[in-house]
Amino acid sequence: MTQTAALERPDVLTPLGQETLRRLMRSWFDFERRLGKVPILRRLDNGTFTREDHLALLRNLRPQVVEGARWIARCASSFDRNHADVRSLVIGHAQDEHRDYEVLERDYVALGGELSDIQSRPRNIGTEALHGYLMHRASQPNPVDLLGAMWIIEGIGDKMANNWADRIEELSKCGAEATRFIRYHGENDDSHLDKLYGMLDRTATTPERADAIVKTSKVVARLYALQLEEIDHV
Amino acid sequence: MTAFITSTGRFLPGPAIGVDEVEDVLGLVEGKPSRLKRRILKSNGIQTRHYAIDRTGRTTHSNTDMGVAAAEICLEGSPLEPADIGMLACATSQGDLPLPGFGSMVQGRLGIPSVELLSAHGICSAGTMALKAAYNTLRLGDQDTALVVSSELSSRMLKHTRYEAAGGHEQMDFQTEFLRWMLSDGAGAMLLESKPRGRCLQIDWMRSFSHADAFPVCMQIGSPVNREDSRTWQDFPTYGEAEKAGALLIRQDLRLLENIVKLGVDGALRLIEEGTLDIQEIDHFLCHYSSHHFKGKVYDMLEMAGALIPEDKWYTNLYTRGNTGCASIFIMLDEFLRDGRAAIGDTILCMVPESGRFNTAYMHLTLVEA
Repeated sequence: MTQTAALERPDVLTPLGQETLRRLMRSWFDFERRLGKVPILRRLDNGTFTREDHLALLRNLRPQVVEGARWIARCASSFDRNHADVRSLVIGHAQDEHRDYEVLERDYVALGGELSDIQSRPRNIGTEALHGYLMHRASQPNPVDLLGAMWIIEGIGDKMANNWADRIEELSKCGAEATRFIRYHGENDDSHLDKLYGMLDRTATTPERADAIVKTSKVVARLYALQLEEIDHV
Repeated sequence: MTAFITSTGRFLPGPAIGVDEVEDVLGLVEGKPSRLKRRILKSNGIQTRHYAIDRTGRTTHSNTDMGVAAAEICLEGSPLEPADIGMLACATSQGDLPLPGFGSMVQGRLGIPSVELLSAHGICSAGTMALKAAYNTLRLGDQDTALVVSSELSSRMLKHTRYEAAGGHEQMDFQTEFLRWMLSDGAGAMLLESKPRGRCLQIDWMRSFSHADAFPVCMQIGSPVNREDSRTWQDFPTYGEAEKAGALLIRQDLRLLENIVKLGVDGALRLIEEGTLDIQEIDHFLCHYSSHHFKGKVYDMLEMAGALIPEDKWYTNLYTRGNTGCASIFIMLDEFLRDGRAAIGDTILCMVPESGRFNTAYMHLTLVEA
C-alpha cells in the first residue's frame, strides 16, 4: 500500500523558493498589465462591455477549459516515482477541474446562447498556441516548470471571480446564473496558495528549475493573453 | 555624484480639524449631511487634517502661500539664503493660476534671482518628479543647490458649492464623494546640496514606474460624470457648463484603485530583482499608504517571498496630517526627521504611489553626518 505524500505549506520558503516566488509575482503583475490592454477586457474597464462580449468570452474560453483537464492529466503522468508527492497533487487538481466546461456551457445557455454554437466552436488561434505549448511541456519528463503555468491559470481564475464577475453582471445585465463559471474559482484561495508554497519549495530546487518555472509562467501568460486578443479568430 | 537633503520644512494651514468638524469646514451639500462620510472617514483612518479654507469657504492661504511658508521654514534650518539657490523645482496638482507654472509664483514670492526653474505637474508623485529633476541637476554638476517645494490645496475643490453646482446629492455617488473625505491641504520643502552639511540625508537612488499604458484613468478632474460624453472641461462652450456636467469635480474610480497596491509591490520586486533594493537593509519605511492597505493575499505572498518590510519599520503621519497629495512625503519626511527617529547610518525607503493613472515612485536615503 502506498501512502500519498502531502505537500505542506512551509513556514518559510528556501531562499531560492523566495526568489522564485518574487519572480512569479512579477510575471503575474506583468500579465495583468497586458490583460489591461486586451480589447475585450479594456471594455470591462471602460464600461462598454456588452452581453455579446460576455457570450464571446465564454465561447473563446471553453476550448481551453476542455483542454485544461487534458494537459493537467498528461502533466501528472509525466512525473516519475521520485515526484510522487507532486503527482498526487496534480492528479487532485485534474480531478477538481476536469468537468468545469459543463458549468461554462450552462452559463452560455443562461445568457441566451445556443449550446450547439458553443460546443461546435473550434479553438481560436491563441488557444491553439496555448494548448500546443502546454501539451508539449506536459509531455516532458518531470515537467516541474508547469508550476509556472498553474500559477498563471490559477491566478486568472481568481481574477475572474474577484475582478470580473460583478462587473460582467453589471455590464452584460445578466444574473448570477450566467457567471457561475467566472465566479467558481474565487473559492478556496487560501488552500490553493498553501499548496503553491509547498510545491515551490519542492520544485524550485536548482537555479535551472527556478528559471524554467518562471519562463513557463511568462510563455503561458503571453499565450493566455493572445487567446483573449484573438476572440473568434479561428 | 550624488546629492544631499540638508534641510526640510513643512507648513500645515490653520488648526487641526477633527473627523467631526470636516463637514463643518467643507460645508453641507444642499444643507444636508453626507450619508457616505462616516464610512469613508472610518476606512481611511485619518483623525486630523488641515484646510486652507475657513468655515465660510474663504481661502485663508493660497497654494503659493503654503509652498512659500514651507520653503522659508526649510531655509531657516540652513545657512543658505534664497539668493544662494541655483534651482527651484516645484510641484502641485493644481496651482493658484492655471498659467504660469506654480514654480514661477513660488519664485516670485521667495525672491530668488535668476534661478533655474521647474514646475512638475501630476498628482501624488509630482513632488518626487520635481525632487528627481533637482537631484539629477545636482548630480550633473549644473547646480550646487536646489530647493524643492511640493504643495497642495485640495479643499477649494471640495467645498459644498462645487457639488451643488454639479447637481447636488442627486448626482453624487461614492466615486464623486470619496476624495472629499480623503484630501486636505499642506506643503513641504527640501533643500538639496551637492555636498553634505551637518546631519543630512544622502539620496542613494530614486526610481519610478508609470503604468498609464495599461490602465485607464483612476483619479481625475476634467471629464464629465456621464461616461458616454467624451468631452473634457475645456471642450464645453463655457466653464459653467463644464461645471454643471460634473467635469470640474475631483473623482476616483474605486474599482481600479486596488491596482495601486499591486503596482507598488511590482515596482519594489523589480528593484529587488535588479539588485537596487535590498529589503533586509531598510531601517525605516515611509509610505503614504498605511500597512493595512497591503493586508491580504499580496501581504501573505510578500511575507513568504521574503520581501515584506516588518511593520515596526513603517512610519506614517497620514492619520494626523491627512493626505496632502504630492506634499505628503515631504511633510512625512520632515516630521520623521524632526522627531529624531533616525540614527546616523540608518536607511530610509520612501514609496509614493499615485493612483491618477498609476505611477509609483521610490527613493532610498541614508542619514549621514558631514
